[in-house]
Amino acid sequence: MAFRITTRDGWTRREFLLATLAGGALAVSGASLFRWLSLPYPYSQTFIGRVDSYGSDLRSIISLGLRELGVSSAEVKGKRILLKPNLVETHEGTDHINTHPLVVRGAVEAFLSLGAERVYVGEGPGHRRDTLDVLEESGLGEVLFEDRIPFINLNYEEGKTIPNQGRQTRLATLTFPKIFQEIDWIVSVAKLKTHHWTGATLSMKNLFGAMPGIYYGWPKNVLHQAGIHNSILDITATLQPHFAIVDGIVGMEGDGPIMGTPVSMGTIVMGRNLPAVDATCCRTMGIDPYKIRYLQKADGWLGPIHESSIQQRGELITAVQKPFSLVPTIPSHRGIRLL
Amino acid sequence: MIDYLGKLKNRSRPNGGFSVLPNGEDRPDATAWAAIILAASDSESGLLNPAWSRLAATQLRDGRVSIAPDHPDAFWPTPLAILAWEPSPDHQRHQSRAVQFLLQTSGKHWAKNPQSPLRHDPSLKGWPWIDQTHSWVETTALAMIALHLVGHEGHPRLEEAAKMLLDRQLPRGGWNYGNTIVFGQELRPSPEDTGAALSALAGRVPQTFVSRSLDYLMAETPKLRTPIALGWSLLGLAGWEKAPVQAEDWIMETLHREGRFGGYDTPSLCLLLAPLFAPRGLKELPRRGKNLETAAAQA
Repeated sequence: MAFRITTRDGWTRREFLLATLAGGALAVSGASLFRWLSLPYPYSQTFIGRVDSYGSDLRSIISLGLRELGVSSAEVKGKRILLKPNLVETHEGTDHINTHPLVVRGAVEAFLSLGAERVYVGEGPGHRRDTLDVLEESGLGEVLFEDRIPFINLNYEEGKTIPNQGRQTRLATLTFPKIFQEIDWIVSVAKLKTHHWTGATLSMKNLFGAMPGIYYGWPKNVLHQAGIHNSILDITATLQPHFAIVDGIVGMEGDGPIMGTPVSMGTIVMGRNLPAVDATCCRTMGIDPYKIRYLQKADGWLGPIHESSIQQRGELITAVQKPFSLVPTIPSHRGIRLL
Repeated sequence: MIDYLGKLKNRSRPNGGFSVLPNGEDRPDATAWAAIILAASDSESGLLNPAWSRLAATQLRDGRVSIAPDHPDAFWPTPLAILAWEPSPDHQRHQSRAVQFLLQTSGKHWAKNPQSPLRHDPSLKGWPWIDQTHSWVETTALAMIALHLVGHEGHPRLEEAAKMLLDRQLPRGGWNYGNTIVFGQELRPSPEDTGAALSALAGRVPQTFVSRSLDYLMAETPKLRTPIALGWSLLGLAGWEKAPVQAEDWIMETLHREGRFGGYDTPSLCLLLAPLFAPRGLKELPRRGKNLETAAAQA
């Protein structure tokens, strides 16, 4: 069941502290320990995998990340998992707009190898009415067809309306695809990009595509009208996705999420907590997550974004960091550079 | 094609409406599209009257037809209902109420601000997908087509909507959902939005106003093999008497690819079939329908 009432981060606080202290991976100051113990989401872990190209063994990298983050076969076995990639528009010869099909395939295989009962892929693009055309042009259609993975067109799914748990916008309720009730895990499989309205678009912003167009319009205008940052928070708080995987093998800098330029970043970032994953992604892009309004508001509520509250697995941020170019004339890009 | 019409008929529900997929519950957009295609292909079908009546039952007091009773704001199926009711003498009252609703309704609009990163003129009124949001291309195009069909072609709202569509046309040709230049960068077109806008503007503006868009669509359409993009593209080109001779072949190829996607939903299937029954564009869909053999012969 995807609509969860309680919030948790996979690990208990005690498990996390023991693992952290035993591994010696994080210097724990008295102040940050106090911070961990006093916030609803005091800590989390993210994994950064280094990947040369889309031709790499993505299943192995994603499997390694799952293992490092404590996602076990016992946890996944028998579960129905929905992967929500970021499909926006297509443009011939571009790898930097949409989640790459081979990342989706790697994630499908990784979850199936852990014993998932079924893995679905679902998306509701915000710009295109013909989801199937985007699916085909992006190359994802061919991958799913070859692997016999069912695709769910979330834009046209019958809705299930539930109270808005975030209450950051005026929207009292949110309508999600009814089929989410039959899903055990929702995984945001996002793209590493700058965004001209929000600064960055990562695993949380990717959730706009979970909202059916038949109720929210194209381009999900109800959410834009209600406020993009606060809508991101409302959707994340209400849906509470279980996991995030961000395709940063080729990301987008400049005027994202469509018109920017490709940047070879060579990373996949993963984690159970979406704000933590997005904060780590921001740091790899040379962006201060505290300057991204929705992340700043999510801090300590939907997840931690402070660097000392996120245990880093895999590569270090500094080892992969590449400052993405920002556009000074775009207000949401001003002053967000990580100093 | 007869198989696909049979498939469509099988989606009729006991209450007269049509489901989106086999065995689901009926939904107004699916019912309206099914009624449009059935009226064009088999005007004697016993499924038509129940479909029209089911649509009427979903209509709200102010004339709108929304996607679901608990989402009255999502009134974008209203122009589809107007098109669907056109052949039915018994539902003219419902059609008139829907027309009045559209004429009295628009999206959210505001004065153009030269400092805005959005280049289009947001003051020009069209129609939105959802109440209290901005007007966008496909919804405006559909409303224009519906209002034209019922004789409002000279109404000031259609004049303004035509201006709005022209304002949203991309400088290099084509339309997308409805943004043109954002932060100084021209966005990219999409075939379905271009087809819808060209359908609405056919017969209203000189061809020179849309020639780049026609060029874009003529280049793009041969590559399309998915229902919404191909259906709208062919309808858009047909409205300007530029329907490709291979149109029927492409439609059949697309129909045969259905299994790849686990089946087409009813609105997509109908949109894909529509060019077969509207060789001169959506505005010319037969008012009283014609039998399948005649339509197939013309296609």
